[in-house]
Amino acid sequence: MAFPEVLRRKYQDILQQIRQSGLHKQERIIHDKQGARIAVEYPFGSAGKELINMCSNNYLGLSSHPQVIKAAHQALDHRGYGLSSVRFICGTQDIHKELESHLSDFLGTEDSILFSSCFDANAAVFETLLDESAIMISDRLVHASIIDGMRLSRAAHDTYKHSDMQHLRQKLELHKDKETKIIITDGVFSMDGDIAPLAEIVELAEEYQALVFVDDSHATGFIGAKGRGSHEHCQVMGKIDLISTTFGKALGGASGGCISGRKELIDLLRQRARPYLFSNTLAPIITMTTLKVLDILAGSTQARDSLERKAAWWRQALIQAGFIVVAGESPIVPVMLYNAKLTQLFADELYKKKVFAVGFFFPVVPQAQARIRTQVSAAHSEEDLLFARDAFIEVAQKHDILGKTKAELLNMQV
Amino acid sequence: MEEKLLDFIRDEFLEDPELEIDADTRLISAGIIDSFSLVSLQSYIEREFGKRIPAPRITAESFDTVRQMVQIIQQF
Ligand SMILES: Cc1ncc(COP(=O)(O)O)c(C=O)c1O
Repeated sequence: MAFPEVLRRKYQDILQQIRQSGLHKQERIIHDKQGARIAVEYPFGSAGKELINMCSNNYLGLSSHPQVIKAAHQALDHRGYGLSSVRFICGTQDIHKELESHLSDFLGTEDSILFSSCFDANAAVFETLLDESAIMISDRLVHASIIDGMRLSRAAHDTYKHSDMQHLRQKLELHKDKETKIIITDGVFSMDGDIAPLAEIVELAEEYQALVFVDDSHATGFIGAKGRGSHEHCQVMGKIDLISTTFGKALGGASGGCISGRKELIDLLRQRARPYLFSNTLAPIITMTTLKVLDILAGSTQARDSLERKAAWWRQALIQAGFIVVAGESPIVPVMLYNAKLTQLFADELYKKKVFAVGFFFPVVPQAQARIRTQVSAAHSEEDLLFARDAFIEVAQKHDILGKTKAELLNMQV
Repeated sequence: MEEKLLDFIRDEFLEDPELEIDADTRLISAGIIDSFSLVSLQSYIEREFGKRIPAPRITAESFDTVRQMVQIIQQF
């Protein structure tokens, strides 16, 4: 038998351990298009329930936007469903080249290359571009896909404390003899919602002749006055050597991603990046629809302006109510409860009050840093946010959480 | 050596000033030191104590606490 009993038991044991340590994840089944209100079935088999969705990356409300759906229908008719080929054989249509060029215009870069996902883009970039003579210096809170990407590279690596510029300087000084140095950070950090200090990072990079890589997955489309990303927000457009981003969040939310930056680096990725060479091309429907999304965003800042106002309101409402909220300027607003058990209970009770937000605790975030992460969308109406705020306050009052300090929350017995 | 290591780790890795660590605190398995940050520990040991610990010896099992680190450093 191909799957002997001992092996089956081994995997059953691993799964059992995951359950016992409280880390077992269960998917919530959604019977709807993505949006501000969704019908959710959870736990599996229960009756569906309409919830306010506070946990999607649908920041601009484009995932089910009528204009976007219409563009996708047209794309199907225009360029078909699939291409059944990698880019280099017969998987490059006119629209792929067009999207790459529009991305470069939108992000203010020299060139861009498409990938099936931003995870793939991050998995490709460090292995392809860096050899043993290089050092990667990354923020300690970068996304898992960057960590995996760095693991694939032969370059040496080191880290600096989250957004700590003094520490980054020490590390650049320590490694100044390396031929190639690259500073690696997220633009907006997905668990904290804070924006990396890119102006200071660029300044240090210039002083030490280092490259800068930014993953802007949680920023492209809405951070910055024109939504170009965290580099626009920090006024360093044109100074970031490599930007990776996803089409799977604000830009319609289907899937796909890219690396955008210095022409020679993009050219080399096109020749050598393994996820680009050995994986299927981006589907025409996503390619054309992402083009449409960029077109909408370049033509009007209405969606990002609305998101900015709503996110600021939401952040302020939670602070006024007495919650501890991580400071920031993005629509990711983490409500700090520190206490892992309390966080789980809080999320469950929100769910009962028809608000869908997810609790995160170790190992996804550091120990004693458990939180409910909330994400605002331009699709939320004022009533949606008022409803969600009231639910947060009711649950917090029930457990006497408001106005409590970190130490008090950590010591709460749940 | 123990104190020097603890001081370095507090300075280099602790983001949360309220967290207290001693020679038996689990560091790697508890996520205080992540695997990518081990190089900076390795290069500190080399600079401070003049000993280069080979990377394969620096694992979550054998290098998890300062007490274990001291034992391994003394073998070199
Ligand atoms: C910062 C960051 N980078 C990369 C990714 C991966 O993007 P994708 O879903 O396109 O693979 C994500 C999201 O999952 C992310 O949050």
